[in-house]
Amino acid sequence: MKYVLLFIRNEETDIDEASRSAHYAAIDEWFGELARDGKLRGGEELQPSNTATTIRPQEGRPLVTDGPFMESKENVAGFVTIDVADLDEAIAIAKSWPPDDQIVEIRPVVNHEDMSNHPVS
Amino acid sequence: MMQHDPTVEAMNATFRAEVGLICGSLVRITGDFDLAEDLVQDAVVVALQRWPVDGVPERPAAWLLQTARRRAIDRLRRDSTYRAKLQQLTDGWAPDVRTEPDDRLRLIFTCCHPALARDAQVALTLRAVMGMTTSQIAHAFLVSEATMAQRIVRAKRKIVAARIPYRMPDADELPERLAEVLASLYIVFNEGYLGSGPDLSTSRDLCADALWLCGLLARMLPDESEVLSLLALMRLHESRRATRFDSSGALVLLRDQDRSRWDHAAIAEAGGLLEHARRLGRPGAYWLQAAIAACHAEAPTFAETDWAQILALYGALVRINPGPVVRLNRAIALEHVAGPAPAMEEIDALRSELDGYHLYWATRAELLRRFGRHDEAADADRRAMELTDNPSERALLEARLDPTVIRAIGANNH
Repeated sequence: MKYVLLFIRNEETDIDEASRSAHYAAIDEWFGELARDGKLRGGEELQPSNTATTIRPQEGRPLVTDGPFMESKENVAGFVTIDVADLDEAIAIAKSWPPDDQIVEIRPVVNHEDMSNHPVS
Repeated sequence: MMQHDPTVEAMNATFRAEVGLICGSLVRITGDFDLAEDLVQDAVVVALQRWPVDGVPERPAAWLLQTARRRAIDRLRRDSTYRAKLQQLTDGWAPDVRTEPDDRLRLIFTCCHPALARDAQVALTLRAVMGMTTSQIAHAFLVSEATMAQRIVRAKRKIVAARIPYRMPDADELPERLAEVLASLYIVFNEGYLGSGPDLSTSRDLCADALWLCGLLARMLPDESEVLSLLALMRLHESRRATRFDSSGALVLLRDQDRSRWDHAAIAEAGGLLEHARRLGRPGAYWLQAAIAACHAEAPTFAETDWAQILALYGALVRINPGPVVRLNRAIALEHVAGPAPAMEEIDALRSELDGYHLYWATRAELLRRFGRHDEAADADRRAMELTDNPSERALLEARLDPTVIRAIGANNH
């Protein structure tokens, strides 16, 4: 079962230079362990939301605007796709995400091979 | 009071004893929570139609299983999606499917998974573990059947879509996961306790259901202090349930209840549970609440209540759970120990947080009367009345607003 973990961070707070290398070392180790266990299916860290460009339909035509789709202090800072047994395993992995100032949202991925797993409301 | 139709009671006892076991086993066999739960629920609905006419069968578990099996065959004919899962049921399914107590425990943890909203946890547990119908649950929680059905369908869809597992939590997750189960159970109990009135007859006694399930958990997890503590807390409430209303159906406050009619054997038993629970670990929130309830239950008269002990226990509870309702109750204990002035200070500080809570205003009214501020007290009582629909509480507040009647109500007084 695949899940995407969305890492959400308050962009108004910044990591100070001194702890930056420790921060990335912990994240590298976290990724390394997931990869060794064969559970990692990719993921990226994203540039801050002030680099975002949004395209939304306006009167039937795509309108290009500056900024993220929703103005918020908290924004998606990265994501990872994992392949694990069930939600409990995904929760355990999400809890072990090293940055202690980030929210993690777990979203199950739609499996198009399994008709019973169509998107639900 | 509660219905005492032997058939209804026999049916409820049977559902309690069997449905969770059967449902848990079917989830294990099919690997499909949604399907298994539907099959058992269908069997319960059929039983509720047949048993009052035919009587409860001699082997009710086998009857329920056989009915669920027939439903499985019906579905197999209609719906090919479930073919593989249902085939296992209809081929290899002897009339006595092997049920295992652990299946039921796994089922409880699935229903009360923290990825599900609390109201959905409660509804799923009552349906899958206790065999209540959607209609009964909707009635008990005062929502429409359509709303309740939708809540249940959404929760079951989430279990499938997010793959919420059917398994026991690991040891390191157990305290957190158990807290979810206990919170849901206590909601069921409170709904039965506070929702029941003198003349309200229901087809299911939620207090009895909650007590039964908590007792089951205590047998299966005998070393969990908070499980034993919640069981003690429920038993203590239950021990004086019969005295909460007088013969005319009016609510009777704690200070006016006939203590000789309390169930003293149950109170002693709860005391024993609490002592045992205390030895198992640091006192948790349920232990402290139960210890407070025990102080009330063990006091020979209202005047002999050990308020100093109660205040100390509330102090410890505030440290674990600093919510405003706990602080309100602590303020009431403080009044009995230190007088109305320090209590009023606390009550004033809670005003913005508890503005919409009827017992805040009722407690405030009682305290204002101590200071002789009768007009303000009457205003506070009227505010309390606007905020509650419970007919018994309304009647009591109305009586208090009647200048010829002198009575009192407080947040931990009933």
